[in-house]
Amino acid sequence: MSAQPLLEVRDLSKRFASRESRDASLWVIKDLSFSVRDGEFLTIIGPSGSGKTTLLNMIAQIDAASGGEVRFKSESAPINDPKSLNPGLSCRIGYVTQEDNLLPWRTTLQNVLFPLTVQGRLNDETRARAAELIRHVGLAGFENHYPHELSGGMRKRASLIRTLVYDPPVILMDEPFGALDAQTRAVLQEDLLRLWEMGRKTIVFVTHDIGEAIALGDRTLVLSRAPAKVAGEHQITIPRPRDIRGIMSHPDFGPLYQRIRAQVQ
Amino acid sequence: MTTQDGALDLAESTKVKWRQYAVTAGRIGLAVLLLLAWKIGAERAGPLYVADPVLVAQRIVTGISSGELLYHIYVTLRLSVIGFAIGCFFGVALPFVLRRMPRVTNAVEPYIMASVGVPKYALVPLFILWFGIDDAPKLWLIGFLVFYPVFIAVFAGIRNVDRRLVNMARVAGASEAMISREVIWNSLLSFFMASLKIALPRAVSAAIIGEFLVGDAGLGYLIEYSRQNFDTVGVFVGIVVATALVLIINAALVWLDRRVNAWRPTERDMQI
Repeated sequence: MSAQPLLEVRDLSKRFASRESRDASLWVIKDLSFSVRDGEFLTIIGPSGSGKTTLLNMIAQIDAASGGEVRFKSESAPINDPKSLNPGLSCRIGYVTQEDNLLPWRTTLQNVLFPLTVQGRLNDETRARAAELIRHVGLAGFENHYPHELSGGMRKRASLIRTLVYDPPVILMDEPFGALDAQTRAVLQEDLLRLWEMGRKTIVFVTHDIGEAIALGDRTLVLSRAPAKVAGEHQITIPRPRDIRGIMSHPDFGPLYQRIRAQVQ
Repeated sequence: MTTQDGALDLAESTKVKWRQYAVTAGRIGLAVLLLLAWKIGAERAGPLYVADPVLVAQRIVTGISSGELLYHIYVTLRLSVIGFAIGCFFGVALPFVLRRMPRVTNAVEPYIMASVGVPKYALVPLFILWFGIDDAPKLWLIGFLVFYPVFIAVFAGIRNVDRRLVNMARVAGASEAMISREVIWNSLLSFFMASLKIALPRAVSAAIIGEFLVGDAGLGYLIEYSRQNFDTVGVFVGIVVATALVLIINAALVWLDRRVNAWRPTERDMQI
């Protein structure tokens, strides 16, 4: 057990100026603190509108914070000033967003290679890795298709491996499987767990689905309604490798589900 | 079941084919009709007002074989291309510069938009006064006329870029220059291509109008010189050639647009 967390969120706050009056403002997140160990799969669950996306946007440094700090390997990043933001913390924090955000004019392969291209890391080795990931998630044969020619599940897979391909130590995921049907969703969850067990990245996975949070995570945080705070923390004791489709019949699942359900409002 | 579908498809596709033939035949018929109307009009109105199409065609052939007409075309094209390149460069570059300076943009935007309303042709006397009677005043005119549609389209295109794609690229480690080149440029490409459809024909028109006023060569000069000599055939030759020039440029643009936007879902893909 290493005592040093890889990623640490301390007293993070975010306020949006209210439209109606100038002094009243809306705190979406207030004094939120938690930490993530190296190689941990943390799931965060909260009701919709609890600022989950805002939280990830601040950690990814797309949005500035109104207060608090985020530490990566105990180095503090200045995220309170929009001008000094460093999105992706120099390619060390990957971000799989809710929408796939594939570039519509690039083919599947070109989209997957996009981060490597802009980082100047395109070589035989990284190309081989990309090809392997494409094969792993069943996109082989679709390398030269444009995003609009792919199904929703395939686009999701492409956006997932676009982040995995450059191997950032931390990956944030914002309800990546939210818009998919149950079947595709289960397949993608299995894919994700398989890929994760191969590389053991640190993952912060946000969802509003309690079952998904339990099935995927080592630990689950429950966020309260806005202003978001940590309302509960649960170790997921179900051993790995897990069987996603059969997870509901595991004896630990029911009690965990009930306890989390009680905290999510 | 499948054979029936296949038969239906076949019947459907022959129907589509016949419809296309009908459209083509209609187009040719219309062209013949227009030429006929021109011919009759020429005979009714007299050679001073409407030139005979046969004479115009003959003049075009002799003009091309002697090289004289080709020279006029060359002069006008050269002017149009240089003026277009200048206007287009600033029309694209300025929005990219302004993108980095939101406050300056806010301050400057109303002035730029107000300046759209200035009739550019009315500035020609000033351009002549300031820049002489060589190519310079004509290039200023063409440049301005090309600048505005391109600037407005690119400016609007930059505003319409999906923020989420830009954020994705930033997180993936793209520099601002790469984001401009890859995400923003590709996002606004269809806006830019649409603006070219206005700007390119405008460049040719502006060159011709510039040549009416100053210069001793080019299609505009040819038209104006012919008019002064009561040579209506010459005027018509200038008009026909200029029109053909614009049509060729448009065809090239359509081709370029298809190549550039090859990734876009086509109408065929839209049908389910």
